[in-house]
Amino acid sequence: MRELLKTLCSLSAVSGSESELRDFIIKEVSPFAECTVDKLGNIICFKKGKSPASKKVMVDAHIDEVGIIATSFTADGFVKFQTVGGIDPAVMLCRSVIFENGTRGVVGLKPVHLSKADERKKLPDLDSLYIDIGVACEEDAEKLISVGDTAVFESEFELLGENNVKAKALDDRAGVSCLISLLKDESEYDFYATFTAGEEVGCRGARTAAFGLSPDCAIVLEATTAADLEGVPEENKVCCLGKGPAISFMDKSTLYDRRLYDAAINSGLLCQPKSAVAGGNNSGAIHLSKDGVPTLSISLPCRYIHSPSSVASLLDLEAMRVLAKEMLKKAASGEII
Amino acid sequence: MNLKELTASLTNAVSVGHLRSASDIAKQELSRYAEVSDFGAIGIIGKISNSADKTIMLEAHIDEVGFIVTHVFESGFLKVAAVGGNDGRLLPATPITVHGKSDIPAVFISTPPHLAKKTDEAKSADEIYLDTGLGNAVCGIVSAGDFATYRNSFKSLSGGTVCSKSLDDRAGVACLIEVAKRIHDKPLDCNVIFCLSEQEELGTRGARTAAFSLDCDEAIAIDVSFGDAPDIPATKCGKLSKGAMIGISPVLDRRISTKLLSLAKGNDIPYQTEVMGGATSTDADVISISRTGIPSGLVSIPLRNMHSQCEVADMSDLESVVNLLEAYILSGGAL
Repeated sequence: MRELLKTLCSLSAVSGSESELRDFIIKEVSPFAECTVDKLGNIICFKKGKSPASKKVMVDAHIDEVGIIATSFTADGFVKFQTVGGIDPAVMLCRSVIFENGTRGVVGLKPVHLSKADERKKLPDLDSLYIDIGVACEEDAEKLISVGDTAVFESEFELLGENNVKAKALDDRAGVSCLISLLKDESEYDFYATFTAGEEVGCRGARTAAFGLSPDCAIVLEATTAADLEGVPEENKVCCLGKGPAISFMDKSTLYDRRLYDAAINSGLLCQPKSAVAGGNNSGAIHLSKDGVPTLSISLPCRYIHSPSSVASLLDLEAMRVLAKEMLKKAASGEII
Repeated sequence: MNLKELTASLTNAVSVGHLRSASDIAKQELSRYAEVSDFGAIGIIGKISNSADKTIMLEAHIDEVGFIVTHVFESGFLKVAAVGGNDGRLLPATPITVHGKSDIPAVFISTPPHLAKKTDEAKSADEIYLDTGLGNAVCGIVSAGDFATYRNSFKSLSGGTVCSKSLDDRAGVACLIEVAKRIHDKPLDCNVIFCLSEQEELGTRGARTAAFSLDCDEAIAIDVSFGDAPDIPATKCGKLSKGAMIGISPVLDRRISTKLLSLAKGNDIPYQTEVMGGATSTDADVISISRTGIPSGLVSIPLRNMHSQCEVADMSDLESVVNLLEAYILSGGAL
């Protein structure tokens, strides 16, 4: 699972530029499930189980990640850009980025020596930032990249201690790795897996995938903010590394189906409630599909989410896989819904 | 190793406080061409002696900016203080190596959006935590007083530009070693001292004691200076790929600056001038007032994002600096 996660995190898939990761996933799961790609670039998989399911379950993870998109060049060959998905300027400054074709750049910043006292206290506006790709004029920049090209922040996949990892794109390669694992395992019941595109730009893929599948029930595998940091009061931590996957009762886009939430929390498996009404994910699109879809969200607690240095626990990831498998079985058997 | 390989090797190593892997590489490389002594806290000295009356010192600082651990929490988090000038704005989610009993990776925390009250307010290094991900096991590995440095490794950008931590001033160190390589077997009218000094980032301390100890006749400091970027006025910086920046300032000896300018012109070495109204904020400031005074010059390499994990320089500028210094030594200096 760790090696799979490492490979998944090392691939780039900024929303709208997901083909590299999509191809990898299809190659990985096609021996185990029937795969099709829909018009938005979602991978829709049918997994044959030991028995037909009493309820049609869709298990979802999104393949895209946050990143940046080149918008224009300055006369001196610097690249102006916008973010794709939400990224705090604080985690972009003086980091290296890599474009789809391998061109490397650095998000520059006036050095501290030249910054006035008030400038040092304030984070720069996103609009003032620029990428240095090492060329001296606009023409040379255009030879290397084009406007519309996307890039990710470079980040090594590294272990912090034995059980924690630091990487980019744990949101949502965590979910993708679990879902791949569910497809590779033998399943009690038939189910559908969706690897969806465009979550970070408005849960676009999940909307069409859910419409196309018309599931009776959905399980969304995600990553969510863990604020279990030194100095943060208990009530503000949202969820903690090492306590298992976080189960959402409500976030900014979904009031979750209580039957599914209760079944997960009371499963006896390692998990924790996501103790804040914050964020949102594909559940927001899926649970409102057609006449409504009861939805469960299982998320990997992740520190510094949407930054190039997200930190999460491999033990939580394993617990997430176990819980997802159990909840899939229960939901498909019809005993919850 | 060619100049780029040497720069990569030096920047990937560490030199802060008592940690000296970069110093060890520099010492090894320099000793191929010069007689090297290691003066610890002062720095590393290489000498090419020709029994000449005159001695010219070329100086660059080997130390880099970093952090020092001030408190270890059982939760696996650390508090640190900055070692050298540091911009708190660019720290959140930055990978760091903590040099404890063993080297371990860590990241500066970034405040999650639901906890950020004023999202555009930056914190300083001593206001945010480092996350080692270790829990209480961290207490057996890291202690207060241990150092930490940026974890970024040397990478190439397009053209001749490169990006790394600690190009300030390993780029200068690499140039010095390359100069030693080129001149060590040539007839010279002067003795040459290569001084790789410590603690520049804490206030040009190593150069102060080194200059006193070495007592040379003239000196040139090689450091980095500000490179052009969209958020810096063009009048306050040099331009990458436009050559060695020759310093002109009341604290620098004008004869040396003039000699450097004429050598650059005469040898078609790309150069640009850097005029300062007083202190240069480099080791040249203290070398020039060592003992009864050492006439000093300054040659700089334009550098973007100074003191960050992604400093950017153009290798062609390092080449220009090497060519200029080589010409200067072969000419016998300015005095």
